[in-house]
Formats: sequence, C-alpha cells, structure tokens
Amino acid sequence: MSQDTDSYLELSDDPVRFEPVNQLTNVFFDDTNKDVFTVRSGGVMGVVVKGPSENNKPLNFRMEDRGSVLSIKLSLDRKVLAVQRTNTSIELMNFNGDSLESEYSISCKKNSNILGFIWSNLNELAIVTDHGIELYTVIPDKKSLKQLKSISVTVQWFVWCPKNKIAILASAHGSQLQPVSIKQGCINKLHKVETESGRMALERDVTLATLYNVPAVLILRHQSGPQTAEVHVHTLTGPGLAPVKAHVLKLGLAGRFAINVVDDLILVHHQASRSSQIFDISLPGESDGTVKYHTMVAPRSSFKATSISLPGLVEPQAHDCELYSPNWVVFQPNIVIDAKLGCLWHINLSLLQLCNQINDLSICTQVALKRSNGKPVLLKLLLKTINQNQPPLDKLQEAFNHINFVYRDWVEMELQSQSGSPPNAPFPKKTIPRVLIDQSTMYEEIFQKMEADLSKTERVLVCYLASLAEYGIPAQLNINTLIVSTLVRQNKFTALQQLLQYGVISDMKPLASLLVSLGNMHPSSTQMALDMLARLNASEEIQEILLSEGQILSALKIAKDKADPRKYLTAAQNSGDPTLLHSVLYYFRNHPKFSIVLQNDQRLHTFINEYNDIFSTSEV
Amino acid sequence: MGGMNKEIELQSFFIFNSAFGPKEGDLEGDQLKKILYYYPSTDNTRVQEDNVGLVEGIVQFTQTFNPSSPVSSLHTSKLRQLYFQPEPDFWVVLTLTLPIVTKVKENATSVEYLEEDLQDNVYEAALKQAYYMYRLFWGTFQNTLDKNDLDTLKLRMEIFFTAYLKSIKISNLDILTIFGGIQYLPLDRQTFLNIQCFVNFIESKWNYIAHTAFLYNEHIIWSGLEPNDMQMIYQYLTGTLLPANVETELQGGSMPRNTASPFISLHHGRFITGPTNLKQAKTIGKVPKVYLFSQGQVREYHLVVYRALSATVCFFIEGKTELALNDFKALDEFINPKLSSIVNDIAEYCSKQVVTPSSTPETPKFIYFNKLNLAYKSSVHLDNKHTGNVTCNKDSLRVMSDMKHTNSYLGLDGENIVKTTNDYWVFSKTSNLREFYIVLQQKNASLIGISEEVKRLCETELDRIFFHPM
Repeated sequence: MSQDTDSYLELSDDPVRFEPVNQLTNVFFDDTNKDVFTVRSGGVMGVVVKGPSENNKPLNFRMEDRGSVLSIKLSLDRKVLAVQRTNTSIELMNFNGDSLESEYSISCKKNSNILGFIWSNLNELAIVTDHGIELYTVIPDKKSLKQLKSISVTVQWFVWCPKNKIAILASAHGSQLQPVSIKQGCINKLHKVETESGRMALERDVTLATLYNVPAVLILRHQSGPQTAEVHVHTLTGPGLAPVKAHVLKLGLAGRFAINVVDDLILVHHQASRSSQIFDISLPGESDGTVKYHTMVAPRSSFKATSISLPGLVEPQAHDCELYSPNWVVFQPNIVIDAKLGCLWHINLSLLQLCNQINDLSICTQVALKRSNGKPVLLKLLLKTINQNQPPLDKLQEAFNHINFVYRDWVEMELQSQSGSPPNAPFPKKTIPRVLIDQSTMYEEIFQKMEADLSKTERVLVCYLASLAEYGIPAQLNINTLIVSTLVRQNKFTALQQLLQYGVISDMKPLASLLVSLGNMHPSSTQMALDMLARLNASEEIQEILLSEGQILSALKIAKDKADPRKYLTAAQNSGDPTLLHSVLYYFRNHPKFSIVLQNDQRLHTFINEYNDIFSTSEV
Repeated sequence: MGGMNKEIELQSFFIFNSAFGPKEGDLEGDQLKKILYYYPSTDNTRVQEDNVGLVEGIVQFTQTFNPSSPVSSLHTSKLRQLYFQPEPDFWVVLTLTLPIVTKVKENATSVEYLEEDLQDNVYEAALKQAYYMYRLFWGTFQNTLDKNDLDTLKLRMEIFFTAYLKSIKISNLDILTIFGGIQYLPLDRQTFLNIQCFVNFIESKWNYIAHTAFLYNEHIIWSGLEPNDMQMIYQYLTGTLLPANVETELQGGSMPRNTASPFISLHHGRFITGPTNLKQAKTIGKVPKVYLFSQGQVREYHLVVYRALSATVCFFIEGKTELALNDFKALDEFINPKLSSIVNDIAEYCSKQVVTPSSTPETPKFIYFNKLNLAYKSSVHLDNKHTGNVTCNKDSLRVMSDMKHTNSYLGLDGENIVKTTNDYWVFSKTSNLREFYIVLQQKNASLIGISEEVKRLCETELDRIFFHPM
C-alpha cells in the first residue's frame, strides 16, 4: 500500500461540517441537491440544511414533531420541503427561506408501502412504493398535488440517479433490475439490466453513475470461493438506452467495497485493506468481443491523511480523521460522509500523483488526455520524460500518437466547420476535447522548454513529426523551422538533405529563405532552397537567388515576361561583363513587350548609353 | 590471323615510396626497397625496377614545370599510365593497355590502338578508389608505418590489393566510376520516418553506436554518415559484402528451410559481420574496423552489419568500444521484430510503384548525379555491378565521360549536345550542382527535335527539383 506522500487520493480539505448523529439528532443526505439535513428532536429543536459547499449559507428552520423522520428532501428550487414519517404518506411544506408555511400531504395508493420519494424535476415528485411509481406535480400556491403518471411494478428497493433521472427498481432480491427514466412528467421503462439469472444484488452493491457522458449501472459482484470480487459495468448504450454489459473491473480482493466516480474514473474503496483502486473504462483492456476486462490503472492507494479541528478545552484541537471508517457512507459521484464525525468530503484526485505511479508513459498519456485538468499534468509529464537521460523514444512516440489522435479529430472538425456547411447553416456545435495539445502547445511547452541537448531535440522532434505524419497532420512552420535549425546547429546537412528528400520537412517559403541564409555554411542548403522554391513554383524568389549569385541570364529565362528591365540591366552592368550587358540589352530590345519599354523609359537610356560607350555603335 | 580486338587491360599496378630506396647518387643501393607493392608478381625484379624508375623520373621531370600540381597521367601510343600521390612520397600507379582493333585491308592486317577510347577521368577515379578502399580498412599507409612497421604495410597491401584488383572489371568502368555515386530508394514519408525513429531508438539505447545506415537491397534509405564516407562504405557493401551474403542466403545456408514448427515466428535477421549465428556463437566473430576521414580527422569504427529479409542495417560503433556477445544478442532481440514490420512497409511501397514499361532502344536513357549527396540514378545501367550490362552503346558512355570532363568549364549551369556517327545523340546538362546525361538514338532527328525530347524527359524525371531552364 502506498505511503501518504505519494497518494493520489485526497479528501477535500474544507469538508462540510454538521452536527454529528446522536440520540437526539438525526442526519439525512439528499443526493439530488447534495444537502445534509440535521434534524434535532424530530425538527422541534431545529433543522439545519447545509449544501455541498461549506461556503453556502445553511438554512435553518423548525418544524413540528409528528414522529420520527424517515426521509427529508427539499425541492430542486428549495421552495417545498417534503418529509416522510410514515410508510403511506408524504408531508409537504412550502418554504420561504426562513420558515415553513402551509402544510399539505399526499398518500400513496392503498396497500402500498412507500420505499422513498424523489424530487425528479422542478415541482415533480415521484413516490416509489413496493407496487410501483406514482408521479405527481406539486402546485405550492394551491397546496395541492396532481397525479401525472404511475406505473405498476414490484419493487423491493431502488436507486436513483439525479443526473440522468434514471432509477433502478430492484425486485426478486435484486436479481431483477429494472431501469426507469423519469423525465418531464413521464415514466419510461427501459430494458432490464441483463444479469446472470437468479444472481441477487444488494442495494449497496448497485451504483448509478455517469461515465464519459453515458449513464451506467455499476454492480458489485462478490464471488464465492477463492475468486475475488468484480464490478460489472452496464452502460446504457444499447438501442433505447438498453443497458449493455460492457466492462468488468477485476478487483483482485474480497470483502466490503464502496464505489465513487471522479472525473470519469471509477474508484473502488476496499475497507479491509483501507485502500482504493482506480479504473478507467476508456483504457484498452483484454476483451472477449463484447466485454472488456480491466485491471487497476495504478497501484492501490489510500487517501491522504486529513484532519479537522474540534473544539477543545482551551483552544481547538486537530483531530485526525479515521480513513475508511465503518461510519463512512459514500454518495455519487464523489461524496464521502462520516455521520459520527459530522463531515461531508468531496474526493479529489491528484492527477500528477496518479500519473507518477503509472510507469507506462503511453497509458499515462491516455489517462491524462481524458481528464478535465489533464493538460498541464500531461505536459509536465512529457517534459519530465524527455528530460530524462535516455528518454524512452518508443513510449514517447506512442504518447504522441495518443495526443495527435485527439488533435487530428479536432483539426478535422475545425476544417469541416469552416468549409463543409453552407454560410447560413447553424454553426455545428464543437465539442472541445478535454485535453488538446496542438503543435503550438508542443512547441511552446515542450520543445522550447526541454533541455538544450541538440541530438535529443532532434530525436524527439523526429518522433513527433512521425506521429503527425501518421495522423496526416501537416507540420507547422515553427516545428519545421526547429528541426531545420536543430540539424544545422549540429552541422548535420546530410541528414537535413535526406529529411527534405523524403518530404519530412514541408515546403514553405520562409523555410526556403532560412536555407538560403545558410548557404555559406554548406553548399547543399542553396540547392535545397532552390528545389523547395521550384516545388512551390516561387519563380520570383528563384530569380532573386540566381541574381544574387550572378546567374543573370538564368534568372532572366525564368522571369520571362515579368522581368524588371532596370533590375536586370543594373545587375548586368554591375557584373562588369560587357557581353552580359550586351545579351541582356539585346534580349529586351528583341522582346516585343520590352522593346517599347526600353524606348520609352528614360531611366533605361543610361544603360543604352553605357552600352554605346563600350561597343561604340550608334544604335541599339 | 583474323580481326583481333582487345579491350582495355590492366598491365600493372604498383605502389612505391622513393624515400625507402637508396639515397640519391647511391647507384649501387637496392632499388627494390622502394617498391611496396607490385602487380603482377610475374614481372621480374628487373622489369619492376625499370617501371618504377621510369615513373620516378617522369614525376621528377614534370615537377620542374608545375610544382603545385603533380603529374596525373602519361599517354603513349600503346599504354596509358595514371599516377596518384595519396600521401607524401607514396605513389600509386596504374598502367593500362589501350584497346585494340585489328583491321584487314587489302590482305594486310593493321593493328590500331584506340587512344580516344580510354578516358583518363574514369581510370583516375578507379585508381583513387583502390586507395580509398584500402584506407577504409587499414587507415593511411603512414598510419601502418607509425603503428606497425614496413613489413606489415607490405603484407597488408599484398593481401588487400591482390584481391581488390581481381575484383574490378577494368574494361567495364565508365562514368559511374567517376561519380562513385549512391543509389537512394524512393520511399513514402511515413515509412521513412518510421525508419528514422527506428534508427533513433537504437542510437539512443546503445549510445556507443555513433552512426547508422539503412539500406534496402542496394539502395540507401538513411545514412547518418557524410556522403564522402558513405561512398566507400556503399561500394564495399554493394560490391563485396552484400553480394557474398545474398549468395549464401540463396543457397539456404543461413536460413533453414524447415523450421521446427510452422507456428514459431521466423527469425529473419542475423548479423553478417560479427556473430553470424547467434545461437551457436561463443565469440563475437569478425567485425571489420573502418577508418573514416571526412570530418577533418580520422575516426575509427567497428562496422557491424545486420541483415533481415532485404534490409541491411549498418552500425558504426566507436572504435574504442569493447564489443561483447551479449550486446549483439540484445541488439538482435530489439531489432529483429521491429525490422520485419518496417521491411514489410518498404516492400509494400515498392510493389506499388509503377514499373517503367520495358525500354526499347528508342526510349531515351539517362544518368542523373547530384554532387552534394552523391545520389545517382541510371537507366543506362541495368545493375550497379560494373558487369557491362548497359542499354546504350559504349561510345555514348565514353562521350559522357568526356563531357563530364569539359562540363567543369561551363560554370554553374550549362548544356552540351553531341551527335555520334551511328545516330546517337548524347546530351548533358549541369545545373544547381547536379548533372544530367541523356542518350537518345533517333535517325534523321534534328537538334530542335532532340531538345524537345530532352525537355520532356527533364520534366518527368526532375519535377521535384530546381533545374536551370533550357
């Protein structure tokens, strides 16, 4: 088990504090609004409601004691309080922010027992009984309820997911799991969760979560005998949101577990070993064609030690919280409550610590690319890997491939949104990848920051270029320039030549200019520059190079009709070669277009005069 | 006696250093001492002494006229002699007999020596290459003298040059010998990059590997060496090492035909210098050392060559490194699986390339050479083994060598067109430090027609580079 120092799991350092459970005080948690209710003496001594953040102002009110409270929840807009004290009815009270006002109630159908209730929507209350679900709309002004819908189904217990508004109704001791969606006044039965027939499940072993925007049912499966427990992940991805058993998480342990989800990573806490495992269903795993089998992403870890301050005799004292305490109750997605201690924590994941514990850079990259705060961590990790003495180039390339896979999709989407749709069409909604590392980012955050080892820079750059090429992404000018300058600084013109020859370095005019400027370092750079310009059809630039090398006639041949007579005559004059002046002048004189220019442009007559001086002829 | 024709033949090849002979004026001293190597050994010592003495005389005599540029060749009516002084006082000399045609005219036969059919620049290049090849494996002559002694030097020369002279096909040398060029394999960017990454992985993992070269068949894909160094390595590989190994591979000597089980993945790769059979090897076997000179100083490397399927990977390992059998095993384990997939990609790319339609005598043939990376391409030569297997007549090739000689006066760009007696047109153009030679055979063609034809060929063959406009 890992030490505290490198633990990647921690509890929020500002837990929501509430009055702990005792003989007089009951504590309830509403996982829809994430409210903690502390009810003293059935409400007579006051009810305190604390939101999920310690910053929120707690609500305080009193209510009459009409027996012990079984369940208590505020409506989504916090204007109606619903309290269940019996198995047959729910009391409703309008709440003005300070105190409760009017009271009304609703009873379920005869012979039914209420298992629980849900604020499924604004002013929509769903009551789950052992005979089914009754859905009501609440009209606070009229202090009345109106039934919207009901379904009949046998229910022993249920689990609700407020995010996806899906409930799982269990019957036959959890061997029958029926998902229903409760939305906008409707109740829809979905396909049953297909489990091995007769395999029972307890309420605490079924978790509803959202993984990568897809609702999922997670079922803990304890195994008999020497086998260890598994978590079966049924994603609601089939037709009509039918659950599909898509993943199995191999826990490698037995005993009591609890599940949370942080940033689409599944955390499985194990009480006996006081440690947690972490799984990512998006990682590749062994597959039998339909189900992927996953093992944990990183070694098991415990939470970092945490403490709260408790009032002491003289001054507050720090109290170390017991981790994995038997008093812990977990709620989705990432909430841990210790009711005896009066604390509600959120679980935080330190991605950097997690990545530090994954030895394989490729897996690490895949994990980081899917995390909401992954970008700085991934960049840090890449830089650290590259700055190693002997960076694992093959792993780096795999990492680049994962990065560029995401990048390529983004580039393609950008292109489509620019060109594909007609001008008036609504702009297609872009889903920005969680972690996008484009060439500019690579350039600024990696290549500019990596240690100055030229041969290493060259190798890493080639790796990156290979990956870009693999995904068909053209390299930007700054990346191309960097590889050229890295090779030149090592005097590796032969290598540069080969990279150009095989098209690794793209043809761009600024690169050609760079190569021209290197002409005095190696004769091949002028050749490479001219080749590149020829491929770009940049005849003007070619003319300039030829002129600067004194190849006036060659330049003139390329210029064709677009030559500037003055420029060429000046160059010929400066060459000090009378025959060259003769050739250029005669070329212009015999050219239908330029002969007129030659006659009319006064400035050109100096050349004619000079020519006449040299050759002593009277006419040109 | 019928019409007897003879091609160019090697008459003698010798190396001498006057400093080892008797002092000037000492006429009684042993003249033979200055001769370090002499071929053929059948020439008696008298002939050897005379020949060397003659060269000494010519060298000294010509030096009085032009001390800065030593004499390079001697033309006689029957012989041609070429001189090369690679190191101070060491002279390497090649003597050739001119080709002969025997003509019968009015019952009288006359022998004619074809002086114009032997191009100095071709054989100067051959002479220099002989020395450079020696130097590649043994370093400079002086190096052996400094580290060993005169007898060792003589022994090394004896072993090396006797074998080398047997291997060169004197009469088939042509303009390609002057270039000493390298053939590169056209390849797609992705596969090239994969090879680059593969090479980088290896070089970063085994950092005593200073350079790597990657070949597919006889074509280079990647070379980490400077072209001047690669030039000799390339000739050694394609001329000696690889052909010898291809033969053993074809005989099934190294690759067992029947593996124990068809399911065992085939292990294709093996070292062809070093431990050639890794499973049974107890020592690292023979790894040649090479001396490279291009970067201003001599550098010594072990040349380890690995071959799998048609790919050849050459590793240049720092000369000071002690090689161990385990290094080879680790290298093999790393390379073998990766190389197989790379070779598949290359083979796939190559098979997709359009095969040029079978050439007829009318299709123009060309030779391309880039001075800067020594790349050449030839549709004149059907192989690069100097077998004389060419698609145009030898006259045209000789014209090319002559043009190559005169082109050096043309400056940065220039053109040359020659029409030979038998309707061959030879065209040459230099541009942007590249040379392009074209041979066409067309009856009754005009200069304009030929120019058009040449222009078309330039456009199809040279579209990716800058070539001076015609």
